[in-house]
Amino acid sequence: MASTSRFKLSRGLLLLPVLALGLGGVLFASAAAASPVYQANATPQATPTFDPKRLEPPPTNNPPGQADKGALQYWGMCMSCHGDRGQGLTDEWLASFPAEERDCWQSGCHGKDYSQNSFELPVQSGIPAIAGAGKLGRFENALQLNQYILESMPWWNPGSLETQEAWAVTAYTLKLNGNLPLGISLSETNAAAIPVHRSVTAPPSEWPGALALAALLGLAAVGIMKQSRQNTLSALPKPNFVHHLHPPSIPAAQARFRYTLGAGGLAVFFSLTLFVTGLLEMYYYVPSPERAAISIEIITTLVPYGNLVRNLHYWSAQALVLVTMLHLLRVVLTGAYAPPRRFNYLLGLGLLTLILLLDFTGYLLRWDEGIRWALVVGVNLLKTFPLVGERFYQFILGGTQPGAAALTRFYAWHVLGLTGCAILLIIWHLFRVRRDGGIAVPPPDERADKSRITRFELVRREVAVIAVASAGLLLFSLLLPAPLAQPLSDNALVLGDSRAPWFFLWIQKMLQWGNPFLWGVLTPLLVVIALGLLPYLLPNAQPGELGRWFPRGNRLAQALALLIVTAILFLTVLGAFPH
Amino acid sequence: MATRNSQDPNRLYADRRNFLKLTTNALFGLAGLLGLGGLVRFLGYPTEPAPQTEFDLGPAANFPPGSRTVRADIPVVIYNTDGVFTAYSLICTHLGCTVEADGQGFACPCHGSRFEQDGAVLQGPAKQPLRPLRVEALEDGRLKLFTQEEADI
Repeated sequence: MASTSRFKLSRGLLLLPVLALGLGGVLFASAAAASPVYQANATPQATPTFDPKRLEPPPTNNPPGQADKGALQYWGMCMSCHGDRGQGLTDEWLASFPAEERDCWQSGCHGKDYSQNSFELPVQSGIPAIAGAGKLGRFENALQLNQYILESMPWWNPGSLETQEAWAVTAYTLKLNGNLPLGISLSETNAAAIPVHRSVTAPPSEWPGALALAALLGLAAVGIMKQSRQNTLSALPKPNFVHHLHPPSIPAAQARFRYTLGAGGLAVFFSLTLFVTGLLEMYYYVPSPERAAISIEIITTLVPYGNLVRNLHYWSAQALVLVTMLHLLRVVLTGAYAPPRRFNYLLGLGLLTLILLLDFTGYLLRWDEGIRWALVVGVNLLKTFPLVGERFYQFILGGTQPGAAALTRFYAWHVLGLTGCAILLIIWHLFRVRRDGGIAVPPPDERADKSRITRFELVRREVAVIAVASAGLLLFSLLLPAPLAQPLSDNALVLGDSRAPWFFLWIQKMLQWGNPFLWGVLTPLLVVIALGLLPYLLPNAQPGELGRWFPRGNRLAQALALLIVTAILFLTVLGAFPH
Repeated sequence: MATRNSQDPNRLYADRRNFLKLTTNALFGLAGLLGLGGLVRFLGYPTEPAPQTEFDLGPAANFPPGSRTVRADIPVVIYNTDGVFTAYSLICTHLGCTVEADGQGFACPCHGSRFEQDGAVLQGPAKQPLRPLRVEALEDGRLKLFTQEEADI
C-alpha cells in the first residue's frame, strides 16, 4: 500500500511541472512562431526633379551627437559616391552631378587611366548602397562595420580615419538604416551587441555549463533525499536552517500531493529563482530608454551565462503565473478557503495580482519594439479612470508621455516596490498557513490517523519537486530564448506584432468590444473582486467535506471560478490569433 | 459582570482603556492618511519634459497636390488636396496606438479600429474620429504642424 502510494506520488511529482511548463510552452511556442516581423524602413521617395537642397550640409544639433558628427563626415567624404540617403551611385543620384561628370569611369576620371589628383574606382557595376533592406549584409554588428570602415574607407585613402571619426561614420550609417538606438554613443564596449540588421547573433553555447549544473544539483538532490529517508522519529538529527523553517512534524494526511499539487511550494521556488536571477540581471541592466534594450542584448549575447540567467528569469516568471493560478484553482475547487482560511485566501489573491503586475513591469523593462503597443495601451488605460485619469497617469509615469521617467519608475516598481510588497505578502501567507492549522485539513476518514511526517521528510519531498521543476526550467531556458526585439525607436511603423503579453491577451481581446475603462479596467478588477468575495458571499464547504476535491458545499463558487477561468482561457486563445 | 454604575472602578478603567485604544488607532490612521497623501504628491511630480507640439514638416514642395504623406514619427498624415493642406493625427482615439495605412484609410493594430481617409470611424472600438490637426504653409515655403491644436474641418 505504502509503495503504491509512493509510486503514485513520484509519478504525480513528475507530471505536474511538466504539465505546467508544457502549457506555458505551447502558449509561447505560438507566440514565438508569430514573433514580430521587421519591415525595412521605407526609403524616402525620389523627388521628380533633383532638389539642390539635398546637397547642402546636414543640419547640426548643438551639441552634436556622434551620429551628427558622422553625418558631417559622410557629407564631406562619402556622399558623392554612396548618395545622400545611402542609396549608392544610382541614376537618380547621378542626376545631381553636372551632366558632363556623370560617367565616372570615363577616361581621365575614375577609370583605369585616372588623372593625377584622382583615383580609380574599380567597381564599374556600381557603388554599393549602404542603407535599406538587405544592405550591408556582410556585417553582423556595429563592431564589424566599424572595423571595415576604419580599414577600407574612404576608398581613395583607406585607414585615414581617426578612431573617433570612424565610430561617428558607423553611427551615422546605422542611423541611415534606422538601426541606431536613440542616444547611444558607439564604442568598443557596446558595438558588438548592436546589430547592423535585425538578426541577433546566436549567444555562446551554455549547454556544457548548464548541464554540469543540472548534474551536480541532481546528485545533490539525490543525496538529500537519501539522507532524510534514514530518519525515524526515534533518532532525529538536529535540524538545519532549511528544516527549521518548517514545522517539526505535520500530520501525514495533510501533505498529500494529489490534493495540494505542490503548486504553492512551486510558487515559492519560482519566486526564489526570480529573486536570484533578477538580482544578477541588475548588475548589467541599465534602466534608461537609450540603453535598456541594448543592455539586455549585451546580457544575452556577450555576458557569460547571461543568456541562461535571463532565460531562467523569464521562464520562472511565466511558470510562476501558471502555478499561482493553478494554486488558486486548487484552493477553490477543494473549498479550502473556508474559515479560518478566508483571510489567507485574500492574501493569496493579492499575491497573484502583484505577480501579474511584476510580470507586466518586467516585460516593459525590455523597452524594445516588442513592448511598444502594450506600453501605450497599458499606460493609456490609466487615463480612462473617470475624473482622476490624467493625474493617475502622471502619478504612475512621472510625465505626460512614456519616457525616461516612466522607465525609471517601472524599474523601481519592479525591482523594489512590487518585489518588496510580494516578499512581505509571501511571508505573511506562509505564516498564516501555519497559524490556520497547516496546509490542508485531511479528509474525514483520515483525520483519525495520527501518523505524522517529520520536517526532514517534508524537505525531502520539496527537494524532489524542486529537482523536477529545475530540470524543466533549465530545459526551457536552454531551448527557448526569451524574446527581445530592436530598441524602441521614434519610428512607429517598424513592427507588425501588436499583441499584449500572453497573460493580458484576454484583456486585449475585451478591449476590442469598446469602452476602454469598462473592459480594460473595471472588468479585470471585478474578476479579482468576485474571486475575493467567494468565501464571504457564497456558501462554503462544510467542515466534514474538507480535504477532498469538489466538495458539495461550495459547488456554486467552484462553478463560478471555473466559468471565469474558462472565459479567460477562451479570450486568451482568441487574442493570441487576432486574424 | 459590568454594572451600569458609572462609579464602578472596573468600568472606568475599561472606558479609559477603550478610549486610549480608540485615540491611538485614530492617530495612527490619520498619520497613515497623511503619509499616503504625501506619497501621492511625492510620486506625482512630472520630471519628463512635455512632448513636442510644433513640427517643421519641411518644404511644402515635398507635398505635391494629390499627395498623401505619412510621417510615422509624429505620427500624422498630410494631404494636399489641390493646394489645400490637411493633416490628421494617426494616434488611435481608442487607446493611443499608431494607426497604419490600410488601403485608402487606416487601421489600428491593437484593437482593430478602422478609419476612413478623412479620419471618420469605419469600425470600432474607437468612437471618436482621428483628430484633424492644424497645418500651416509659412511664408518661406515650409509647412508647420501643430499637434496641440485641432483644425476646424
